[in-house]
Amino acid sequence: MLMEAKPSTSPATFVDKIVVPGDVVLDLSTFTNETIKLGGGLRQDRDAISVMKAGKLKFSKPNKYWVESSQRRYVPCMEETVLGIVVDCKADNFLVDIKGPAIAFLPVLAFEGGTRRNIPKFEVGALVYVRVVKANPGMNPELSCTDAYGKAGEFGLLKDGYMFETSTGLSRMLLSSPTCPLLEELGKQLSFEIAVGLNGRVWVNADSPSTVVVVSNAIMNSESLSGVQQKIMVEKLLQRIK
Amino acid sequence: MEVDRTDGRTPNQLRPLACSRRILHRAHGSASWSQGDTKVLVAVYGPKAGTKKNENPEKACIEVVWKPKTGQIGKPEREFEMILKRTLQSICVLTVNPNTTTSVIVQVVHDDGALLPCAINAACAALVDAGIPMKHLAVAIFCCLAESGYVILDPTKLEEQKMKAFVYLVFPNSILSVLPEVSSTMKGEPMEHGIITSVTHGAMSENDYFLCLERGRAASAKLSDFLRRSLQSKVPGDSSKAG
Repeated sequence: MLMEAKPSTSPATFVDKIVVPGDVVLDLSTFTNETIKLGGGLRQDRDAISVMKAGKLKFSKPNKYWVESSQRRYVPCMEETVLGIVVDCKADNFLVDIKGPAIAFLPVLAFEGGTRRNIPKFEVGALVYVRVVKANPGMNPELSCTDAYGKAGEFGLLKDGYMFETSTGLSRMLLSSPTCPLLEELGKQLSFEIAVGLNGRVWVNADSPSTVVVVSNAIMNSESLSGVQQKIMVEKLLQRIK
Repeated sequence: MEVDRTDGRTPNQLRPLACSRRILHRAHGSASWSQGDTKVLVAVYGPKAGTKKNENPEKACIEVVWKPKTGQIGKPEREFEMILKRTLQSICVLTVNPNTTTSVIVQVVHDDGALLPCAINAACAALVDAGIPMKHLAVAIFCCLAESGYVILDPTKLEEQKMKAFVYLVFPNSILSVLPEVSSTMKGEPMEHGIITSVTHGAMSENDYFLCLERGRAASAKLSDFLRRSLQSKVPGDSSKAG
């Protein structure tokens, strides 16, 4: 009986619930010799883990906790891939706007096989797909155009296409795995290229401008839709343009 | 004690509350909050790079801009800005994004009494919408002391003018916690009994002040519930209403 009474006070009660700032979701004094990992929106105050942002508390096995929320503004985080806009070119760095509090630096040598001799040329206003490699508070974040192995991968300049801004929650949904129903349904009937940055920027490119318009409108309209609703919305949309 | 209020409310009754979030397209966070006919619209921009002069660059800075319904900004508005700024500074976690500034723009849509508490509630909802890290939420309440010595809450403009003294009170919201009851209290009192801000105007005896505090606390529980419910509503654009 005692064992059954316990879960009522266990942290599991808050998982997948919407929490608001100030709520205490975990009590560390009940943990013995366990490691837990805290993600965005949580902070530790002695033995209490409390919430800083409103959103849904998520738990992933074995030990990760975070608050899932959606913002218009981006706060850079290590190893996240973002879409940046080049705002200035300096001798050592490109200055890139990633929607964060501070301008980010993209070193001119942070490209595959980058040397002083072959510095890439970016014009002001160019859109680049980059990875955040340093994000310390009080410093400008640093970006890189290579993956962790130093390969260019998909990173680099995005030519043509159309870029629009959404919330960070929507871009996370687009990147979720398995593929979100919205992109899956669109991909069945249309062919397009898409790049999603975790900072809430989405770039779409296709052969015909009308496809770009359809895809970007579908994405922008899906902000608060569930998986099934997304499917229905896409089906209706594609029927109408036929 | 019988109190006649022009709108037929009981002394402790609040006006209908309404709150909607994410109503402005370009702001990073926005909310409108209304208490009866008093309505305030708040937009939050930021965190933006750098702090202003005379601010501590090792902490995040909060800037408040008050926009009156008509006319120029005067001394009372400057005071509102200051109170709002201090209140928000104490509920936000300022060390997460050092050397940044968050702008809070308060637009008064209509003033029918209890304007500043309404603005504090709206600003709190807007900060949550913008995802600014916060220690906890705050709920503000306006307590009035009438000539005959009774206390009324959330007065209209007319009632406000007839009062001999009033106090703005801001309390932390009631939090949900997994901690056992004992450790979530401070010296035997629950967290939500703490006072974040208290501003009094006019002459008020000690007993009257404590009476206001007690009534305010009782009403803040209701406001706190409403704030939680409106933040938990799934679609932020949807307005939620409570009687």
